[in-house]
Amino acid sequence: MNDGKTNQPEDKPIRIDYDRVDVADIMAQVRARIAARPAPPAETEAPAPRPDLQTGQPASPAPDGGEGRSRAKGRLLKLMKPVTPLIKLAILPVNEELVRTVRVLDHANKQLDYLTAKFDRDIHRVESQLSERLGRIDTQLAITKENVKLLHALSHNLVVELTKLKIEHEALRNKVRVLEKDFETLGRRERALEKRPRR
Amino acid sequence: MKVAFVVQRYGLEINGGAELHCRWVAEHLRRYFEVEVLTTRALDYVTWRNHYPEGLTTVNGVPVRRFPVKRPRNPERFGRVQELIFHHEHGEEDELRWLEEEGPLTPALIEYIKGHRDDYDYFIFFSYRYYHSYWGINAVPEKSLLVPTAERDPVTTLGIFRELFRKPRAFVYNSPEERAMINALAQNEAVPGDVVGVGTEAPAAAVPGRFRSRHGLEGDYLLYLGRIDENKGCRQLFDHFLRFKRETGSPAKLVLVGATILRIPAHPDLLYLGFLGEEDKFDGLAGAAALVMPSFYESLSMVTLEAWAMGRPVLANGQCEVLKGQCLRSNGGLFYETYEEFKEGLGLLLADARLREVLGANGRRYFEANYTWATIENKYLAILNSLRGA
Repeated sequence: MNDGKTNQPEDKPIRIDYDRVDVADIMAQVRARIAARPAPPAETEAPAPRPDLQTGQPASPAPDGGEGRSRAKGRLLKLMKPVTPLIKLAILPVNEELVRTVRVLDHANKQLDYLTAKFDRDIHRVESQLSERLGRIDTQLAITKENVKLLHALSHNLVVELTKLKIEHEALRNKVRVLEKDFETLGRRERALEKRPRR
Repeated sequence: MKVAFVVQRYGLEINGGAELHCRWVAEHLRRYFEVEVLTTRALDYVTWRNHYPEGLTTVNGVPVRRFPVKRPRNPERFGRVQELIFHHEHGEEDELRWLEEEGPLTPALIEYIKGHRDDYDYFIFFSYRYYHSYWGINAVPEKSLLVPTAERDPVTTLGIFRELFRKPRAFVYNSPEERAMINALAQNEAVPGDVVGVGTEAPAAAVPGRFRSRHGLEGDYLLYLGRIDENKGCRQLFDHFLRFKRETGSPAKLVLVGATILRIPAHPDLLYLGFLGEEDKFDGLAGAAALVMPSFYESLSMVTLEAWAMGRPVLANGQCEVLKGQCLRSNGGLFYETYEEFKEGLGLLLADARLREVLGANGRRYFEANYTWATIENKYLAILNSLRGA
């Protein structure tokens, strides 16, 4: 064993052999040390009272001291009023609070930077996907337009052809009517000729 | 020899979990035999929505064949089925329905495996708990190896997986704890296998000062790498760390790196840096007092191995058997199960630079003995050769 280490003076030190560190042994010592301690205080214990910003005094309830003490306290506070800002400055951990606030802001700033970068990346990705889709839609639209034009021309040609066919149909019907009449005339002539006495 | 790696997602954008594990192994083993990856078109692991183009592409020199996800996951329906199978009496049909709802539902991938079974000598399936592994192993049990990446979560206890664990030709486990858990669940000691894990490539030299100056860091810091998620134990880590600071007045900081899906408490000593590049990550690891690994469920923590590769100690959640086992085997890190143990462990690590150095050196030796790529490649080759010999 080389030397012993301890975190709290009242705790049994954790002995570590640095030449042959054995994690199981260290953890066993840690557990034994925890087990030897009295039960830890509850984590949810009340936070230390913060000084009242109006008076510079702790915000704990005033102990019972009678009317005279409160009157004296009131006078004292009145006397101290001009120097209250200085007292506050001395009492309050302004610098610590300031550093802490700056750190929180710095942390928030870093998070914002990260989220902004992520947002930019996402926007860029969505934009590129959208432009790709829009490109595809444009192509589809152009194809559809061409198809509509072709359909329009086809409809026009069909109308022309149908009109022509109708005219031809009328002409043919007239021709058939003329032929029917010729046929009737020829039939009548045939019957008349058959009635004539043969020589 | 031609080997297919079958995994739920595959791509350079996926930077963790079994998918990265699979990619690294495939990229390293392509030197020894023909390798092809069979996977889905999904990128998002929550919905499995199709993202990548279908068909054959190449990723870092490895041919990748992608199959479409027939239907994205409906989280609400999946949640209802999961509630049923975890908390109520149910049958095998319910478990299979859960598997289908979990996805990624890719019947085309399974049809391809069935139709091309003779084109490959072996199929190595990653992650037992997804559709591709269950139906893929059932399609070609005589040619399949399983890298289960199993954690001690309720899914492992489902009946369909007990059967599944008896079917492959061999197992590639991530840790002795994972092997013991699967053996105990499925009584499958007869199925051959070895504890292999995955390697990592640490840079020859990292510059901690560069990381500190880039991110304005001073003093000791603990580093957390990975997804910042309640499931990864991060909420407990925040509580423990902030309580530790309140009780001890320690100026140590907790630096968080990775995507976050958990609100990080606003505190000046909790520094969230988002995603970092590899160089920055290893610089950060090299300068950290320790890597903290608060996860309850891990089958193998790659970042723990990376910390040891950089000679840094680890403070791990001892409720995760794998992490605890790794700390005990390597003597490279301390672990905690309660706040009191966290306080003691972190206190020791922060107060004792010599202990940090010795633990880090032990970790590095453990990493070099078990997790260099040469070791990992040889273990895979030994398993495949033993199957060919048999």
